[in-house]
Amino acid sequence: MLDANFRFNLKIVHKGAILVLVPLLFELVFLAVLTELLHRAEVEVQRQVRSKAIISQANTLSKLFYDAGVAMGGYSITKSPLFSDRYDKIVRQIPQDLAELKKLVGDNPKQQTILENLQKITVTGLKILGEAKAAIDDNRVDVAQFRARHMYKEIRSLADKLQDELRGLTEDERRIEAESPEKQNRSRTILKLFLVAGVVFNILIAFVLLWFFTRSIKNRLDVMTDNSFRLARGQALNPPVGGGDEISHLDGVFHSMADALMEAARKERAVIDNAVDVICSIDMDGKFVACNPACYENWQYSQEELLGKRFIEIIAPQDISETIKSVRAVRAEKGNMQFDNRVRRKDGTEISVSWSAYWSEKERAMFCVAHDITERKLAEEAIRASEQRIRTIINHMIVGLVIVNQDGFIESMNPAAEGIFGYKAEEIVGRHLLALFGDSKFFSEHNENDTMAFMETLFNQALNRIGEFDCIKKNGEDFPVELSLSELKTHEGERYMANVLDVSERREVERLKKEFVSTVSHELRTPLTSIRGSLTLLSVGAMGKLPDQAQKVVGIAERNTIRLIGLINDILDIEKLEAGKLDMVFDNSPMMDILERSEQSVQTFAANNGVKLEIMPSDAVVYADGDRIVQVIVNLLSNAIKFSPRDGTVTVVTENAAGFVQVRVIDRGRGIPEKFKKLLFQRFQQVEASDAKKKGGTGLGLAICKGIIEQHGGQIGVESEEGKGSTFWFRIPPARTDSTLVVTGAKDQIVS
Amino acid sequence: MKVLIIDDEEDFRTIASSCLGLLGGAEVVEASDGEEGLKKAEKEQPDVILLDLVMPGMDGTQVLTNMRKNPATVDIPVIFVTTKGMFDGFDEMKKLGALAVITKPFDPVKLADQVKKIVEDAKAAG
Repeated sequence: MLDANFRFNLKIVHKGAILVLVPLLFELVFLAVLTELLHRAEVEVQRQVRSKAIISQANTLSKLFYDAGVAMGGYSITKSPLFSDRYDKIVRQIPQDLAELKKLVGDNPKQQTILENLQKITVTGLKILGEAKAAIDDNRVDVAQFRARHMYKEIRSLADKLQDELRGLTEDERRIEAESPEKQNRSRTILKLFLVAGVVFNILIAFVLLWFFTRSIKNRLDVMTDNSFRLARGQALNPPVGGGDEISHLDGVFHSMADALMEAARKERAVIDNAVDVICSIDMDGKFVACNPACYENWQYSQEELLGKRFIEIIAPQDISETIKSVRAVRAEKGNMQFDNRVRRKDGTEISVSWSAYWSEKERAMFCVAHDITERKLAEEAIRASEQRIRTIINHMIVGLVIVNQDGFIESMNPAAEGIFGYKAEEIVGRHLLALFGDSKFFSEHNENDTMAFMETLFNQALNRIGEFDCIKKNGEDFPVELSLSELKTHEGERYMANVLDVSERREVERLKKEFVSTVSHELRTPLTSIRGSLTLLSVGAMGKLPDQAQKVVGIAERNTIRLIGLINDILDIEKLEAGKLDMVFDNSPMMDILERSEQSVQTFAANNGVKLEIMPSDAVVYADGDRIVQVIVNLLSNAIKFSPRDGTVTVVTENAAGFVQVRVIDRGRGIPEKFKKLLFQRFQQVEASDAKKKGGTGLGLAICKGIIEQHGGQIGVESEEGKGSTFWFRIPPARTDSTLVVTGAKDQIVS
Repeated sequence: MKVLIIDDEEDFRTIASSCLGLLGGAEVVEASDGEEGLKKAEKEQPDVILLDLVMPGMDGTQVLTNMRKNPATVDIPVIFVTTKGMFDGFDEMKKLGALAVITKPFDPVKLADQVKKIVEDAKAAG
């Protein structure tokens, strides 16, 4: 019924339309034919009625015509208006009836011809009758009679003619009328046949279409249903169904969906197969029912070995009971749960594993992901050990540690700090650091202004450096500490760590040392004064001339006594320098004056050694303690003289350098080896161990020089080339324009 | 030049008087403690007094204080002699009217010149 290609492109909506429209179309055609047939039957009926009307009308006309002749005859005889009126009436009636007849005849050509003849005849007849009437009316009876005779004949023939024509018309109608019932009968038969055929045809079409749809839709739906079952079972799908309609589209989509699902499943499989963690499922009996290949890498068991094995068999024995508890908890939880344990690998080694497990009630199995956390555990262990180590160090260190928050409130304290302050950590935690300080006598740890001001002082004096403070113990005892504050970044925020060292003992030692030095100074100097005085008096002959031998040994005694005195003076000087207590009086002093005084001091010594002094004049003025600078220059000159060859020259140059006044003492002696240059300014350092004996000196001179120059804010150094000589230099600040005498301490006039 | 040495140590007095007398040609008077020193200062009217700072009984500063109270000794120049070094405030001593401090041990040969110079400088300064 439909072209095959055409059928493939039909949509279901089109097919539905066909199913409805085709029978509907046939019904419409059927209805049209039926209407036409009915119409025809109706026409037949009307024709019959008209035929009857025409026949009746023709008869009426024929009779009227005769009646007109009769009336005229009567009129001519009687001249009675009775006949005249009758005649007039008929004359008026005839055209009306003719018009009526014409209407009835319609467009039947044969009848129309007849009607035309009729018309002519009646016109002629009526004319003749009219003439007759006029003659009668004129009382021309003769004419009238003549006319009447003549007319009668004519009328007679006309009437016959009319009669013939009317008969023809009537006969024609009768013929048509006679034809009609036969026609009607045929129409009815056709109608009946058509009705039956139409109904049968309609039913047929409906069935054909039904078959067609059954075949094209239902079969394919069956295929799709089958496909959904196949998909669920994981079987291959049926080939795609044909047709370009919604079902084939749906089937196409179903195939794509199935492909996507397969792809997803394949990917999931790949993920599981390539996972680093072990992914497995364990049934109600605790046996492995599925496992990914990672089990070999992780536990050294192959998948085959693991399947069917009891889960508990691979757990380290010491963790079994805990693991069983955990598994029970997972089942009870009916959700995701995590637990850690140790797995015993096939080779017997143990690894730490973190399990993420889920119990599926539907599948009656536990799905697990097992992650190897051995390294993490080791790292945690290492961190714990490291923390323990640090804690041990902190707990056993001598330095007191106090951790405070940003506002200075104490958070913790180590045992050393507990010992230093006499508080137990728990007693002091939460209080302000101020409570541990002597300042707490005057300020309150509960007053925010006080604590803030205190912290500011503390930051200024001890943040990242060592500051000295007075602290107070729990029992109220004051003691000095050295304290250094450092920032401590913790995960809880910024903290400060105070390193506290109780320096009471050191202070005591310092005090004793000072006392000792003072004592030595007094107790040694007193006898040395007498010894030196006695020896000098002897050696200068104040007690009379000594024998040569005696003079010689007295000289030895005197020299060594002087050396001893020098040593004691140097030691005292250096102690004071290091304590920063060598008192100095700074003033603007002309360098020339200082140089001259220095020269005088060493003149004799230089002459004795055969060394020439060359002091370059200078108009520089320095801001310095003149006596101390003389001490430095004398020291440098003495060294230069000592190490100069006989007949050598020692030169002193004063110049400006980098905003300082620089003094250089230049000798042409043996020079100083590179490695000694750094040591030179340290205590008791001499280039050769024997120098102390050969050349005299204590090895303290340069250290004292360095101390003095540094206390002036200057620098000291040496440049030397072995074999060519050395240049010792120092730099001190130039005169201050605004300076007045600044006394930093007392000055002794040293006579030695 | 007449020098009064006030020192509790006999050894020192001997050496100092030898240095000043034998080497410096000065006339030397000795006193072994503060009391004696004050008396001799008043009586001898020396040109200068070498006064030991540390002595049993009346120490150097007390002797000087007392001397300054006595019109007879108020103008006699005083030089302190001490083994103490730079620890102790020289200012204190200067306030009491000492001209200088000579630390022990001193250079015996130069002592006389040293003392003379200090006295002359003081006189020159007025």
